[in-house]
This record gives sequence, C-alpha cells and structure tokens, in this order.
Amino acid sequence: MTTMARAIGRLLIPEAEKSRLEGGDFVDAGHGFDVFGASPGWIAGAERVLAPLYKHYFRVESVGVENIPREGSALLVANHGGTLPLDGMMIVLDVLAKTDPPRLPRAVLDHFVPSMPVIGPIFSRLGAVTGTRNNVKRLIEQGAVIIVFPEGVEGIGKPFSKRYQLQTWRVGHVELALRYRTPVVPVAVVGAEEQWPQIARLPVRAFGIPYLPITATPLPLPVKYHLRYGAPIALHEQYSPASADDPAVLQRAAQQVKEAVASLLVESLSQREGVFR
Amino acid sequence: MSSIDEAPLRVLVTGASTPLGRSLLSRLLRLPRVEAVLCATAPGEDFVSAFRSDPRVSVTRCDLRRERDLRSMLFGPARAQQINAIVDGARHRSIDAEGPRVRALNVEATRELLHLCERHETIRHYLLVSSSAVYRADGSSADVVDEEHPLDFRPNAPQWRRDRVEVDVSACVRMGMTPLRITVLRLAELFAEDAGSQLWDYLRTRVCLRPLGFDPMLELLTVEDGARAIALALASSAQGIFNVGGRDVLPLSRLIERAGRDEIALPGPMLAPLYALRRRVTRLSFRYDVNRERLHNNCVLDGRRALRELGYEPLERVDFGAVALPI
Repeated sequence: MTTMARAIGRLLIPEAEKSRLEGGDFVDAGHGFDVFGASPGWIAGAERVLAPLYKHYFRVESVGVENIPREGSALLVANHGGTLPLDGMMIVLDVLAKTDPPRLPRAVLDHFVPSMPVIGPIFSRLGAVTGTRNNVKRLIEQGAVIIVFPEGVEGIGKPFSKRYQLQTWRVGHVELALRYRTPVVPVAVVGAEEQWPQIARLPVRAFGIPYLPITATPLPLPVKYHLRYGAPIALHEQYSPASADDPAVLQRAAQQVKEAVASLLVESLSQREGVFR
Repeated sequence: MSSIDEAPLRVLVTGASTPLGRSLLSRLLRLPRVEAVLCATAPGEDFVSAFRSDPRVSVTRCDLRRERDLRSMLFGPARAQQINAIVDGARHRSIDAEGPRVRALNVEATRELLHLCERHETIRHYLLVSSSAVYRADGSSADVVDEEHPLDFRPNAPQWRRDRVEVDVSACVRMGMTPLRITVLRLAELFAEDAGSQLWDYLRTRVCLRPLGFDPMLELLTVEDGARAIALALASSAQGIFNVGGRDVLPLSRLIERAGRDEIALPGPMLAPLYALRRRVTRLSFRYDVNRERLHNNCVLDGRRALRELGYEPLERVDFGAVALPI
C-alpha cells in the first residue's frame, strides 16, 4: 500500500521542477527535506496537482512580483480571507512560477494547524511553518521569503459583508522586520475574500480549530484572483532594531504596512471588471 | 567560537561504560592535552579492558547513588589526580527503570556531584550530558527547537523524562551561581544499540506502526558525533546550554523506509494498546505513551549555538541498516 502510494507520488513529481526548486532557497537537512519538513519533491508535485486550480479555476493574475527581492529574506504581508487558506496557496504558486531562481515562500501557520492530522504534515511538506519566534527567526536568518497574514483567523473567517475590510492587524510581522532588518512586501489578494462565503460557524474545537465553517456553496466559487505585490517597505531603515520592543513604534509601523496593503487592495478592486473576471 | 583553553585536561567521566562513554573515552585519549581520564564505574563493571594499555586511564569504583561514595571519589582519587573537569553522563537508559533508586542515580547523584564540585580544589568545569527529551514537543510549539524552548514539565510524564528534565534544570539553575563553569549539552536522540534509543527499539520489528495523518521530522545523532561534541565542549571555554544536533533529519516515514521496515499508519488511539501488546510479546522496550508527542510533532534541534560557540557540527550519518530484528 505504502509502496504503491510512493510510486504514485513519484509519478506526480516533475523532476525538472524538483531540481529547479532544489537550486533555489531550499536548504536540505540531509534526506531531501529541510529542518521544517519541506520537500522540493512534494512542492513540485503540488505545483502540478494545483496547476489547474491556479491557471484555470482561479485564473490567477499578478503584478509586481519583481518587488520580491531576488535574494535574502523578505516578509510578504497580505490580507486574508476565503474560509480556507487558498489565498496563501495561490501566492506560493504564483511566486514559484514567476521567480527564477525560484523563491519558495514559507507561509506562517496559526498554532493549531500543525496539530491537525494529514493537513499539518502536508503543509509542512509544502514549506509552511508554525508561527513561533524561533521558526521565523531561523527562516529569516537563512534568507527565506515568508508569507504573513496579520489578520489571522479573524481574517480568514470574516463574513462576506466585511470582505476587503482589514480586520485587527497584528504587529508581530513588523517586530520581525525591525529586529531582523527585513523588508516588508505588501501584497493585496483580490478574489479570495469572495470565494467561499460563510453562512454559519459551528463551535467545533477538534484539533484546536477555532470553529467549523459552514459555507454557502459546497466548493469555492470560481472567482478570479488578482495578486498585487507592492514596493518593499524598508521599515528597518526608518526604525532601529531596539524599537522592535517599543509597542508604540510597532503600532505605527504595522499601521504603515496595513495602509500599504489597503491601498493596493483599492487599486486592484478598482481595476477589476467583476468578481469572476 | 569561544577561545580554547590550552590547559591540560584531567577528566572524570561518569557513565563511561555506555556506548557514548566508550566513544568519548577513545576520543579523549586521542587528544594530547588530555593527561588523565578517571572513569567512575559501578562495582562489577569492567569495560576498560580496551583502554588498559593507556596509562592515562584509571578506574574508580563508585556507587554514584551513595553520597559517601561520591565524596570519597571526589576528594580521594579525583583530588589525587587533580581532575579539573567532570563529564556527567550516568543515567539509567532503560525507559522502564523507575522508582527511588533510579531517581537516586538520575537526579540526586548529579545534584550531589554539583554540590561537592563547588567546593573542590581542582574541579573547574562540570559538563552534564543531557538530552533533547527534556523539550516539550507539542504541535503548537516550534518545529526547530532552540535552547530557550519550553521544557516538558508535565507532571504525568514518565519518570524517565521527569528525571531528565529535573537533572537538566538542576544544573542550569547553578550556572553563574558558583565558581564552576557549567555546560549542559542537550543531545539529539543517540541512535545506537544499548544507548537507550527509543527509535532504535521502535524499528526492531518488521512492521512499524505510526499515527495516521502524522509524519513528524525526527533527528538522530551518532555516538561518535555525541562524543565529539562533548570533547569540543571540554576543550572550549564556553559555558551554558547547547543543543547537539545530528546529521540525520528526516520524517518518520522516511526513517522507517531507510531501516528497511514496512509501515502501517493507524489512528493514534489504536497505537497505545498495540504497542503495549508488542512490549509484552517481543519484550522490546519502545513505549508509545512516552513517544506519542514526537511521533506527531516536528522536533529538530537548533544547533547553531553549538556551532558558534563550540565549533560543533554533525558529521556522521547513522547506520540505518544496523538495527537488528529481535528474532
């Protein structure tokens, strides 16, 4: 059974893409996985499996990917929504497809996700990490691109009526940016927040999940995704590393990032022709 | 990296009869600045025959659980040989070892050793061989664990783990409070026969059961790398806590594959009774209840402090094929 699963897995992995990923940001810990469990084979396989979703279902279009530094660490900070983190997945696929050598974006997960069976290990293989200080510090030090959604669970679970309204904006990302001298690239994701309207939440707490969403449709709607990467914000040139401990500075810096994301959202929303176009 | 103290090394080793202890002994004897190695062994142990030809090695019989024995050893042979460093690695390896006598060796002996070393005329460096088992490994914590990571203080943890946490903390709280230089090395799992490795034991059946839906990253250390880290720490002037990682970092499923075993993934709740049954039938010591967290969650040591301060990085790969089946 396991052998068969492995054979099917190998068939799914495009070797050329796997080699390309191995030549990028990936730091092999010795057996084809990095210390967080990411695997170029898995990522290349996921690119192939999710390509129809990326190209044909959500028809992802993006502008400004050149704003992601070609090397060194960066924090991609985006709005969040859509019930399931498909927005993060589309950002990863987009950045992988449009950077060469490939930058592998590492999504920072909420603490309950890695404890979930199947989902936790899959995210781990695809490069996501738990949002702990040491994980993120290590990734920044090895020069990785990290995706952060400062709205967290509140963002992904926002009701349809609040789509594209940024929710409580946490400040952890700016603390990291200041302490580790890392640029912030604001990202607007348009489409995700309309993909899967929630109609109710069940108070299910299994595996630490905050709730079980009940959606209006059984599958996400085929909305069109528009990703817009803004110019990098060098917060670390405006503030000293020591100011990473100053709550007032963090609030100010986070507000600056939030406004950058909001302005990219306005720009994208004003240019799109409709939810599905 | 910290400066290396070039003073001669005269080392007392507890736990010298373990695979790690023996490897350490060979490594120390290859260093010209090591002038003496005193091995404290339990009465009845005879492991030093391989080292008898080296005049720098001597043995003292000592029941570390007895305060009087410890005192006599430290202020007797150790003082006479002007021992200046202690490597404390004597711990019960068996996961089934429980009770006050076990705790007396695992915890109390170290406490007493530290206490006596503080007023010893020649001992200046105390090195505790600790383990990564002291770290909490739940799903919400870091995948990569640095030295500040929370320890596993769960009161319902088995004694094997509680003792290791307690002895580690006992040494850590004395850092900076005594004239002794205290070093705590937290070693990744030593993957070797007779080294107390639970994963070694886990792989000793043709079919390995693992929790359905989980495939955590594990880290394995060879005895040679463990011994090299200790030797580097002895040679360095650094003090503090250091993670000692291994060269093999891989998912559980890959570990099972590398060892040439088959795997069956089953729902977690089924594994505890099945492994309890396996223990009864095969007399292997792997305990699922003790290893539950790390069979679910990533836990890889961040060894960058050891690289920076001690110059240690893992070099050796474990021999997956060396794990023998029980029959």
